[in-house]
Amino acid sequence: MADDEQDTKEYRWETGYEKTWEAIKEDEDGLVEGLVAEFAQKAARKAVVPRRGPVRLGMMRHVLLAVDCSEAMNSQDLKPSRFLCTLKLLEKFIEEYFDQNPLSQLGLVLMKNKRAEKLTELSGNVRKHLKALQGLTEMSLNGEPSLQNTLEFAGRVLKPLPAHASRELLVLFASLTTCDPGDINITIQALKTEGIRCSVIGLAAEVRICKKLCQDTGGEYGVVLDDVHYRSLLLDSTSPPPRARALDAGLVKMGFPHSAPQTNQTDPGTNADPPITVCMCHLDDGEGVGGEGHLCPQCRSKYCSLPAQCRTCGLTLASAPHLARSYHHLFPVEPYEEVAYEGQAQYCFACLRNFTDLDKQVYRCGRCHEFYCWECESVVSTTIHVCPGCASRPHLYQRLPDTS
Amino acid sequence: MKLTVDGLLVYFPYDYIYPEQYAYMLELKRALDAKGHGLLEMPSGTGKTISLLSLIVAYMIQNPHHVRKLIYCSRTVPEIEKVLEELKNLIKYYEKSQGEKPSLTGVVLSSRKNLCIHPDVSREREGKLVDGKCHSLTASYIRERHESDNSVPICQFYEGFNREGKESMLPYGVYTMDDLKQYGADRNWCPYFLSRFAIIHAEIVVYSYHYLLDPKIAEVVSKEMNREAVVVFDEAHNIDNVCIDSLSVKVTRRTIDRSTMALQQLEKTVAHWLVSMRMSKVVPGNIRNAEHFLSFLKRFIEYLKTRLRIQHVVQESPAGFLKDVQARVCIERKPLRFCATRLSSLMKTLEIPDPSNFASLTLITHLATLVSTYTKGFTIIIEPFDDKTPTVSNPILHFSCMDSSIAMRPVFARFQSVIITSGTLSPLDMYPKILDFNPIIMSSFTMTLARPCILPMIVSKGSDQVAISSKYETREDVAVIRNYGQLLVEISASVPDGVVCFFTSYLYLESVVGAWYDQGVVASLQRHKLLFIETQDSAETSFALINYIKACESGRGAVLLSVARGKVSEGVDFDHHLGRAVLMFGIPYVFTQSRILKARLDYLRDQFQIRENDFLTFDAMRHAAQCVGRALRGKTDYGIMIFADKRFSRADKRTKLPRWIQEHLKDSLCNLSTEEAVQICKRWLRQMAQPFTREDQLGVSLLTLQQLQSEEQQEKIEKQVIQK
Repeated sequence: MADDEQDTKEYRWETGYEKTWEAIKEDEDGLVEGLVAEFAQKAARKAVVPRRGPVRLGMMRHVLLAVDCSEAMNSQDLKPSRFLCTLKLLEKFIEEYFDQNPLSQLGLVLMKNKRAEKLTELSGNVRKHLKALQGLTEMSLNGEPSLQNTLEFAGRVLKPLPAHASRELLVLFASLTTCDPGDINITIQALKTEGIRCSVIGLAAEVRICKKLCQDTGGEYGVVLDDVHYRSLLLDSTSPPPRARALDAGLVKMGFPHSAPQTNQTDPGTNADPPITVCMCHLDDGEGVGGEGHLCPQCRSKYCSLPAQCRTCGLTLASAPHLARSYHHLFPVEPYEEVAYEGQAQYCFACLRNFTDLDKQVYRCGRCHEFYCWECESVVSTTIHVCPGCASRPHLYQRLPDTS
Repeated sequence: MKLTVDGLLVYFPYDYIYPEQYAYMLELKRALDAKGHGLLEMPSGTGKTISLLSLIVAYMIQNPHHVRKLIYCSRTVPEIEKVLEELKNLIKYYEKSQGEKPSLTGVVLSSRKNLCIHPDVSREREGKLVDGKCHSLTASYIRERHESDNSVPICQFYEGFNREGKESMLPYGVYTMDDLKQYGADRNWCPYFLSRFAIIHAEIVVYSYHYLLDPKIAEVVSKEMNREAVVVFDEAHNIDNVCIDSLSVKVTRRTIDRSTMALQQLEKTVAHWLVSMRMSKVVPGNIRNAEHFLSFLKRFIEYLKTRLRIQHVVQESPAGFLKDVQARVCIERKPLRFCATRLSSLMKTLEIPDPSNFASLTLITHLATLVSTYTKGFTIIIEPFDDKTPTVSNPILHFSCMDSSIAMRPVFARFQSVIITSGTLSPLDMYPKILDFNPIIMSSFTMTLARPCILPMIVSKGSDQVAISSKYETREDVAVIRNYGQLLVEISASVPDGVVCFFTSYLYLESVVGAWYDQGVVASLQRHKLLFIETQDSAETSFALINYIKACESGRGAVLLSVARGKVSEGVDFDHHLGRAVLMFGIPYVFTQSRILKARLDYLRDQFQIRENDFLTFDAMRHAAQCVGRALRGKTDYGIMIFADKRFSRADKRTKLPRWIQEHLKDSLCNLSTEEAVQICKRWLRQMAQPFTREDQLGVSLLTLQQLQSEEQQEKIEKQVIQK
């Protein structure tokens, strides 16, 4: 009987009533179309975090991502279960993270049964992370997590990193308790002095120790409402945070590899097969023989994808577009101003779509004074990071002082 | 900010004000204008104290002839300290905006234990010992003896105060206990006597209830307060019990033994005196009288002793008791009445250095005085044994006051305005009845909130649909106990950090925990949180509390099982993470089989036409509200309140909850089963965890001066006030 009670499985009819229809109201004409558009706009709008003033950002991020694998992850309040939902969102997160921060590295940690276990090393390799994640779906979840052990582990991993790198820990925490071996406050203080920024995304409710951890180390604390909110909280943490402490502003040595030179073709005299080269990233797996790749300018090891850190000489390898992609964080597009549509413009400057009655709100760039529809606005602020209006006017784009 | 409340300029030391604070001030001013008494309920954490202080101080400054004094009574030392902090804040604000200190003095009075700075005496931990030691250093005859013999120790601080302090007035300002101590130490004055002296002249006095309500103490301390005063009783939801306790006496066999011993000692001293006096051939008449008095007392104690030798319960009226005394030991009413005064004067004459040994004897004389002074509203009950242990003979004589208005009446009569206020006074109309006064204003304020930060729920059935209730017939039912356990386990699995549970009695707590242990509930509870239990031992309880707090702070989470009417339910705040959820298992009715209670109920019915059930429900509901109110101590806080008993959902119980709880107790939350409640909790906790800033509150539950003055807001507040 006691065993029956421990079965925490939750049926659909046991969950709370969700009156999704109540939020929808008809307008004067009995239509809901306008309202739906408004909802979409609102949701899109919420995702945009207003960035304030010039701040120094940690561009070369080193993020450890700790995933709670305790019993609490079994709960089905996120569909299909908290854990599966998390894994799915994490795939998206990892892609987005490397898309936004090409020069950064990521490592995965599992909080399992009071221990912190390393899943993947800190690295910039997207595929490796994704593969590791996919292997988790069948994992059994039990026991309690230990926040302190996770923090200690993160401290050990992040501490030896060079001074110019930002050190971050992101914890996805489903449990409401933590089972710790010692005083967690001491660990938090240690992380604080190390300048490790800890953020927590709670899956159930506000836990005081997590709040304290985030407050003390300058991180963000969020609690998810549902899967959509979960996603937006996760994606919010893909943009680099302001620097938590005064890092060194030193120069970082970087290599920009060329594609593997076709030496055999430039020298027709030797007429032999090209030498067999092995890609360094796949060395362990025994794959990646032959084919093209990027050669480290310092030691000429071959890599099939960038960015990477050279395994032989430790040089950071990147390509120019990567740098450029990171660069946009420093000069974000200023948030557009939301104005009621009163026929200010005929069409959206970006997509050239004509404004209709459904567009109750349009957006205006404060710099080039062009008008945009809400869809373009969200694309500009989340993906392009360049205002089309400003980009077409050189003096605005280069941020020259106003001539007028 | 400076605001006008009904034409009165009030300095309010904060930049923002809650709308209910403004409404509270409006009502309060009405009471002061009418020079009448008031009854005000406002939830804890909405700044009652500062609203009271800032309005009354402003009123005092602008109408110096109407109100000359503010007497602020609170319950515990920490609460008193909090009041003084707020007062200091207010005076500082006055000073900042006016450029000079307002000519007001605010003084605290507390026991010697808290105020003594004598190096030896202050080291004592117990209040009685400090009093005794202080007495042995400052009594008049000791000081006289010191004049002739330098080796007799006296207190230098008392001497210093006596020499210089009585002429000088305290400079304007607010004096907390530490300030008084510092002030005394600087000048070599005794802070206790300084404050005793200063409260006569000070405009604002902060002290404990007892200095005003207990007639024995009030006579000594608060005699010289003038009529043009406003008296505030804060946290006054239990004021009737304080009144009753201050007039009730309990005599056990131990008391009798002790006082017999004390009497023997007194006799010896008197005999010794007689001998020494005879030697010097002076035999003043009053010593002979003393002998008479002592034998008189002896007779009275012997009489009490015989009365305690009984096998069955006796209940009689004071008049009957007096008649019996007259018949058996020939003591009349009149001499009994002066017993207490006579004893204290005798002790003074005999120069008893440490009166703390005579506490029992003093108690007996108090009994004698009370029994002969009051004939109505009291009862005498003699029980041969305790209710819990019917086999052990442990006779007790209860001289019990049944009418709380007896202690209150002189206060209402003496002072112009008496304000009774607390976070939980509902139902309001009961207090005027049991305290027998006529309030000019009687209001209950709600909390305006920018988000629904309390979640009251009535859970009436378990997941197996068995109704849960602590009703006498079902409380031992295994299904009910299991459902209670199930509820607690599910709640502790979905609520973070601290969860507090209240049971109706220690007995019930013990039996339920025992049953839970057998059912495996305790084990599954401990998978989620640590478990702490309040016991009757206060040291043990405070140890449990410390560890409970530690567990909440470190993220482990904890459950505290405690008892309504216990120490935890009255004095400890579980704000923020310390109490995310409070569960009330059953309705905390008082133990109805007690004879004292029965006598009181009879009296209330006969005298005030209050039906027994009404009073019992009132008493139970105020304690329930008090318990669940522990969770919410401010507007940024949030907490779940679960009433786990089917009977709570009945209208007669529900409507007796404070308005600020009732407002959030929607019909849909009134008849829930365990899993429904847990679902609602989960969803609500997520919403509450979303970032909440001051900007969200501004304009709704927090107002700037401009917002306050806007017409729309004024109208809203007016409406809120008029509603009742």
